[in-house]
Amino acid sequence: MFYRKHYFYPDMAKNFQTTQGPVAFCMYGHLDLEVAGEGAAERPDHVATGTDVVAAHDQAAPVVVDKAADGSYTVPIRILMEEDAAKMVHVGGEEGRIASATESLIDYNRCGTPLIELVTEPDLRTPEEARLFMEKLQQTFRTLGISDCSLEMGSMRCDGNVSLRRRGTTKLGTKTELKNINSFKSLHDGLEYEICRQAEVLEEGGVIYQETRHWEPSRKRTVVMRVKETADDYRLFPDPDLAPFDLTDEFIDEARARIPELPDAKRDRYVAELGLKRKDAVQIAGDPDVARIFEAAADGAGEKVVPTVANVVVNLLPGHDAVTPAQVRGLAGLLAEDAITFAQAREVLDAVNGTDEDPVRFVDERGWRQATSTDELAPIVDEVLGRCTAQVEQYKGGNKKVVGFLVGQCMKAAKASGAAGNPKLFNKMLTERLEG
Amino acid sequence: MANIDELTAAQVAAGVAAGDFSAVEVAKASLDAISKRDGEVQAFLQVSADLALAAAEKTDQRRAAGEKLGPLAGVPVAFKDNMHLLGTRTTCASKMLANYESEFTATCVQRMLDAGATPMGKANMDEFAFGSSTESSAFHRTNNPWDTERVPGGSSGGSAAAVAAGEVTVALGSDTGGSIRQPASLCGVVGMKPTYGAVSRYGVVAFGSSLDQVGPFGRNVADVALAMNALTGAGRDPYDSTSQDCPVDFLEHLEDPVEGRRVGVVPQLMEAEGLTPEMRRAIEGACRMLTDQGAELVEVELPNIASAIAAYYVIAPCEAFSNLARFDGVRYGYQEPGCATLAEQSSLSRAHGFGEEAKRRQMLGAYLLSSGVYDKYYYPAQQVRTLITNDYKRAYEKCDVIVLPASPRTAFRFGEISDPTQMYASDLFTISNNIAGNDWASRVRAAPGTGLQGPEPAHLRPCRRARRRRHHARARLCREGG
Amino acid sequence: MALTKQDVAGIADYARIALTPEELDEMTTYMNNAVDLVEPIREYDLEGVEPTFHPIGDLSNVMGEDVVDDSERHLPIDVALSNAGASRDRYFRVPSILGTDEGDR
Repeated sequence: MFYRKHYFYPDMAKNFQTTQGPVAFCMYGHLDLEVAGEGAAERPDHVATGTDVVAAHDQAAPVVVDKAADGSYTVPIRILMEEDAAKMVHVGGEEGRIASATESLIDYNRCGTPLIELVTEPDLRTPEEARLFMEKLQQTFRTLGISDCSLEMGSMRCDGNVSLRRRGTTKLGTKTELKNINSFKSLHDGLEYEICRQAEVLEEGGVIYQETRHWEPSRKRTVVMRVKETADDYRLFPDPDLAPFDLTDEFIDEARARIPELPDAKRDRYVAELGLKRKDAVQIAGDPDVARIFEAAADGAGEKVVPTVANVVVNLLPGHDAVTPAQVRGLAGLLAEDAITFAQAREVLDAVNGTDEDPVRFVDERGWRQATSTDELAPIVDEVLGRCTAQVEQYKGGNKKVVGFLVGQCMKAAKASGAAGNPKLFNKMLTERLEG
Repeated sequence: MANIDELTAAQVAAGVAAGDFSAVEVAKASLDAISKRDGEVQAFLQVSADLALAAAEKTDQRRAAGEKLGPLAGVPVAFKDNMHLLGTRTTCASKMLANYESEFTATCVQRMLDAGATPMGKANMDEFAFGSSTESSAFHRTNNPWDTERVPGGSSGGSAAAVAAGEVTVALGSDTGGSIRQPASLCGVVGMKPTYGAVSRYGVVAFGSSLDQVGPFGRNVADVALAMNALTGAGRDPYDSTSQDCPVDFLEHLEDPVEGRRVGVVPQLMEAEGLTPEMRRAIEGACRMLTDQGAELVEVELPNIASAIAAYYVIAPCEAFSNLARFDGVRYGYQEPGCATLAEQSSLSRAHGFGEEAKRRQMLGAYLLSSGVYDKYYYPAQQVRTLITNDYKRAYEKCDVIVLPASPRTAFRFGEISDPTQMYASDLFTISNNIAGNDWASRVRAAPGTGLQGPEPAHLRPCRRARRRRHHARARLCREGG
Repeated sequence: MALTKQDVAGIADYARIALTPEELDEMTTYMNNAVDLVEPIREYDLEGVEPTFHPIGDLSNVMGEDVVDDSERHLPIDVALSNAGASRDRYFRVPSILGTDEGDR
């Protein structure tokens, strides 16, 4: 059932917002969050932040969250549908802030458009967790194809809430709400600032007021926007203009059947079945566009080449948005057999981006294929070691870095003689000779 | 052509279609009637002569081009001033919207125009439809055409009076707690409040969203049926999510005899306090008229009907507060000049833009919805609504129609009822049907006055809802005002 | 449990309806009368009775097509702004929302 939530504020054309009441479309839902390494170690137990918290669960007791063995947490969420508010521009004040504005301008174009609001329990413990949570959410929604989730464009927005409690106590303190969060970095930095600010106030014996604060990224601080003196009475009642919406089992089953493979499942499949490094798998599975090109490129690549395909997709593809899966596959093949260097691969990608050039032919035409046999390269290594006695002495004196200079000399010599070099192989051979 | 107040809507449309007279002639005749009589009656807030003549001309051109004309071709129609019509102001008889120019056209208005009707203008009403006498209009009162010292009823008093005075053939009104039926009764015309959802509310300024329903006034049942067909014929309106398909031809059973029909009477209501003896006699006379024609009288009970007033005066003000919150002087409507802050601007715009009754209803709604109070009144009121709806369901198992008075009394004098809560109590007979969503036609028993049609036996078959079995007509019978 | 003038003033403040002292007196009388009128609603035995929030009891899941409405129903900006008391460019304009005296903390 939809409800009307009344408040006199001009961002709502009717002075009430159509929203959901006690029963929302998603209740007792959850999102699994992987908080590994530093994030997990950082998880102290005196700070709780939530995202997009609505008044409904103000001051709720923190939910005890089970920590799974793999360091993942289950974050309880609730999702409701409501209408968007108008866009307001505050004029005459500092940094577009409402507090000192002399007047405000209102654009109702997006007002009334449906949106979903997702609320977490006050369970996220660190700014980093909040950031991870938002990233995960963005990935999930993008994979579902329900929004492009751009914080910059406003198709995904987020408020952060902070309340502290003393170590060893269970009751959360008064919360403040952070607005003007337009990037994940803003979210992280804003929460970090706000946690410190509240801690300082409390340590000095001060009081936290329930208020909305504005994050100013340029000054790295939050300032008060609006103080809530009393709990608002929104005069909520069922909207008589809108029929209730009944989520039937058929509707739910049909919706469930349309859910594509979600990032976590994708990631696990990449690791288990395709042998990807977990880090690469996470990154590829998180972005449906990237996953699509990866899967197309991996399709038909040899089993051993697939991890290299992932490597190319993760490390080289950004900035090359007109590369075909076949080109990625070709390039990964060259890298996998060590026929070109990583730096060359980047050059190849720059060149073939937006063309139908085959990377293999491109490399062969230019004779970029590097030598892969030590026999071929041994004479060059001999020549350089014989010539650069000073560097050899330095190496033996403990300056291992000098090997880089020697590799450079080898590559130069190879080029001068018209042979194909191989810096990786040169490095290996030089080190063996110097250590031996 | 004949005097337009002697023609039915069907006769006007037929005459225009046959070329006996032109739509422009009819429009001019209506404009003449308005200029002659409306000085005294004051039914109109705005006469849209230019729109009327342009629409009539278009109708005549279509006829000249050999096109088929609509069932209301050339019929002069007035619209209650809470209905949007492009090219007119929509004021709701409030200072708040005194200068508000319609930004679009309401579905109900558009459907009348699509059927060929000629828009004569906007009719007076109680401010934002709060009232039963049209006395709360911010602009002027409307006088009952039968006796100008008496009220025309309300809130659709202007619409009823314009039809009764013969200024237009048909008018649209809206009914939240009796605002079509009571003025129809007091002005001696036929009015119908259709089943909730039968007519789109899109473009009609909302009062109580779960109670409001648009319906027609006419000087006879056939005209009302013709208008109902125009309002519902195109099916549900996607712009109103409570709008329903109403697959009924209202003209189909117009001539059916009433013989064998079971007519429900509610003894408990006939004994109700406040029902005047003359009104009681009128009802009894109407029942006799029906039994004379072979209808069977059946006593039915509506055990929870007494709670309707309380339930209505919880639900309606709450919805009104919510629906009228948008009038804050920002996007449209009266804006208090020279305010330093928004809060000051809204509070003063609302204080000076709204009349007393509009403020009272909103204040009551704001209180009843507040936390802690909501559970004591609003929720039980909606539970009582279930009881009343069930009462009607049970009653309609025993009868086809129920006869009820639309008002406890005939038209009263201006200022006669000054206490607002006493005025509320007079809605006793009508509001239970808004609460239950029922349809109800208000019918004239006898109209011994010039220019008005006499009674005719007719049976109105209302909208049949696909998923509901309640589909009985309520032929409402009472005498004219004065 | 009669409503006091102070209660009524609080409601008026919330409902954004400024009342003069005389209006507040009248409104307080009215509010108490009106509450008396609806009071019977609390005397019913409603145990187990489902509320009817809507007269069309079985109406549910009314949805429009998920497509762009390409009818003529769009409200042009100049029309949307034409009834506004104050506007600027393509915006509605309102005076200071918080007043200009609220500082940082």
